[in-house]
Amino acid sequence: MQGNRFERWLQNIYKTQDQEISCSECFDLVSHFVEVELSGEDAVAKMPQLKQHLDQCAVCREEYEALRDLRRLENEGGLPSLDDLQDLIP
Amino acid sequence: MTNTRTNQEWLHDLNASGSLQEAAIAELRVLLLRAALYFFSRNLGDFKGMDHNEIMQRAEDCAQDALIAVTNRLSDFRADSKFTTWAYKFAINIAMVTARRERWKDVSLDELSSSSESNFFEWTLQDKSDGIAPEQSAMQVEVREIIQDVIEHELTEKQRHVLFMMVFNDVPMDEVVRHLDVNRNAIYKLLHDARRKLKAGLQAHGIEFGETLTLFGASR
Repeated sequence: MQGNRFERWLQNIYKTQDQEISCSECFDLVSHFVEVELSGEDAVAKMPQLKQHLDQCAVCREEYEALRDLRRLENEGGLPSLDDLQDLIP
Repeated sequence: MTNTRTNQEWLHDLNASGSLQEAAIAELRVLLLRAALYFFSRNLGDFKGMDHNEIMQRAEDCAQDALIAVTNRLSDFRADSKFTTWAYKFAINIAMVTARRERWKDVSLDELSSSSESNFFEWTLQDKSDGIAPEQSAMQVEVREIIQDVIEHELTEKQRHVLFMMVFNDVPMDEVVRHLDVNRNAIYKLLHDARRKLKAGLQAHGIEFGETLTLFGASR
């Protein structure tokens, strides 16, 4: 295990809470979290348990990041068209 | 494609019948395909060896599965986000599972499971003490021994198994889910319980957060 990964794992251990939300609960809440973030509100303060789960769960975090980036691009008018996305596939 | 429907219009049209519903489903399917392709375009490394048409077929399949999931769960939509944001997450979730499946399809998790314990013990024996003070080196050894002791004696076999695969071998959660025929919640619970035991073990020895990170951050 690389040093930085081990350090991250230690952080995860120490930031462990007795009660944490599940991946299903995270999935239910993540679209709201993204909208709150995009509106400029403090999503972390509003939904700390979700943020805690995202910090601990790599798979949910990756899905959240993709959803957030997709919606951000869409809001800014920069999301590639379907044709452009197909062209990105080698 | 410009997505101009309101949340109410999406729900109304998807629950309607005839051409109104067909048009909404067709529009939603394109949006879901776009979301799946967006995810794939960020993770092209998962599709090595596959040609354009094969990847496009996977994306089409993801969009279709996401469409079924979305329409089956319409009653769950609480309108606390844009409808399309809510729908996109299904496409991204399914695209993620598909992409990881492609990346790991040739890896035997049975073989990996049997070797992962030895990888862990190799890790515990590695000397990471270059360039740090002897007292820090001694503490590093102590932390590693505590972690090893908790893993060996306090974790259940299942917790250890999942920890070795995901933390020490980087197996994605969805592959572990598939391998063990459970769901994400079950795997997350196993890891959560393992983390709680490890945290308690370190704290029982008076080893605190900042001190531990400094100790291991310093050796990189």
